Amino acid sequence: MPMVLLTCDKDIPERQKHIYLKAPNEDTREYLPVANAATIPGTLSERGCAFCGAKLVIGGVLKDTIQMIHGPLGCAYDTWHTKRYPTDNGHFNMKYVWSTDMKESHVVFGGEKRLEQSMNEAFDEMPDIKRMIVYTTCPTALIGDDIKAVAKKVMKDRPDVDVFTVECPGFSGVSQSKGHHVLNIGWINEKVATLEPEITSDYTMNFIGDFNIQGDTQLLQTYWDRLGIQVIAHFTGNGTYDALRGMHRAQLNVVNCARSSGYIANELKKRYGIPRLDIDSWGFSYMAEGIRKICAFFGIEEKGEELIAEEYAKWKSKLDWYKERLSGTRMAIWTGGPRLWHWTKSVEDDLGIQVVAMSSKFGHEEDFEKVIARGREGTYYIDDGNELEFFEIIELVKPDVIFTGPRVGELVKKLHIPYVNGHGYHNGPYMGFEGFVNLARDTYNAVYNPLRHLAGVDIRNKSLETPTIRREAA
Amino acid sequence: MILEDKIEDLFGYVQERCLWQFFSRTWDRQENIDGVLNQVAALLADNEPERDTPMKKLHYADAKIMVSDLKERYPWLRGIDEIESRVLLDGLKARLIDTAITRSTNRELSHHLY
Repeated sequence: MPMVLLTCDKDIPERQKHIYLKAPNEDTREYLPVANAATIPGTLSERGCAFCGAKLVIGGVLKDTIQMIHGPLGCAYDTWHTKRYPTDNGHFNMKYVWSTDMKESHVVFGGEKRLEQSMNEAFDEMPDIKRMIVYTTCPTALIGDDIKAVAKKVMKDRPDVDVFTVECPGFSGVSQSKGHHVLNIGWINEKVATLEPEITSDYTMNFIGDFNIQGDTQLLQTYWDRLGIQVIAHFTGNGTYDALRGMHRAQLNVVNCARSSGYIANELKKRYGIPRLDIDSWGFSYMAEGIRKICAFFGIEEKGEELIAEEYAKWKSKLDWYKERLSGTRMAIWTGGPRLWHWTKSVEDDLGIQVVAMSSKFGHEEDFEKVIARGREGTYYIDDGNELEFFEIIELVKPDVIFTGPRVGELVKKLHIPYVNGHGYHNGPYMGFEGFVNLARDTYNAVYNPLRHLAGVDIRNKSLETPTIRREAA
Repeated sequence: MILEDKIEDLFGYVQERCLWQFFSRTWDRQENIDGVLNQVAALLADNEPERDTPMKKLHYADAKIMVSDLKERYPWLRGIDEIESRVLLDGLKARLIDTAITRSTNRELSHHLY
């Protein structure tokens, strides 16, 4: 089955290149959705901007860093509190938001003085914080404000602070993916190897591409602690600015999110010879496999097996309870990109769930190679989907639950289809063994929730009967 | 079982489980396919895999899990000799290179920014 032109796309036939329905005996050599391409005029997709990819996804996670957004207030507000990445130091990164609050006069006369004043004010207000990332946004990039020069001046005036600049305005790429790339490459070019980390173990690694969504990083850290592996830097979950400056000293880079952070892993391999190991941190069998690979690399296989046995003893029966009740559930995943290939097989193997449609906001063609290789036949694989397509796909595949963000989640709730927050989670963490039981619990609660059926009842219409609940909760 | 079916089994496993076949750049993919399958060959022949460089250690880690999984999934793999193993792995390598490199339509594999 080649690429699909949905009925709703009849006036924008170019969308056919972006939607694939997998049939038997086909593979990515024949059919691969075009991805990481400009959104087609006429389709209102749900992509974020390049600045958002840098700030919201990666930089804003750090727990000890001021995020100075040089632009109008909206750029700051709209990338604040929309992701849940707690920290172990009181959630500094989520409590505060910083903006230079550019107004028309600053756009007309230049915003560099405004930026310098804002940076100094922020450091004065927070004397314990000595690290900052400054971001350009669309207007400040268009008027040509030189944020690197301002950062240099502030660092000269304040010798105890360190500032990193990200020049990645919203318009600079087709999606948030561009921001990931710019921050990754900027960091390795300017900051890696500017500080020597203290080495406390014979086994050292960086954990790259997990952002401590509802505690993912902190949960996985308990595994690395038990294995005696020192994580030099988390890129960037529960991470610190200075730890990321010492990434060059790790023996191994373990990569979970290869889309947002594969770039820095590639560069660390090229420049420092550090091998890159890609793993999946979601799912029982995947997590066990990842731990086994890491332990095999370090030659500590027995420790790994002990840990896996302990975790299985604690969590496997709970997972199986959910698997029994979720087998055959039809799931759609409409998220950023990597969670499509991280989840499609793990929910199938560990929970008996069939993933029937997947849409990626900012995945590249590499992500589609991965997900089509792993995913089921008869499943739709969509790049940069839009709302009308989502409605049509729902009609075609009839999902029982959709993993997506709150915006699209609100849409599907109106159709009385439950959604689980696939970005920030409902009740995470979702990574690791305990985490996947959490994911199973939230999926179960969504699928079996009777309220969504009752939401469709209109008592003004006597001819309608109360809907039959297909699934009775256990 | 004929050889083609066995190669298909191995290829199906790699497609489903192995992220190393889909790294960002052509040379990464080639390096991983060569490196991991060399270590798989050593493990299947009960030889001690070389682990004297970080990359060899990495490919050993990937190969060790792969061999263990394959033996569990495909009992026919347990009794094969070194010659058949080599033929199988050459066939698998050709399939992987064809899919992930030669005929991949991924436009970023040789992108200058990667």
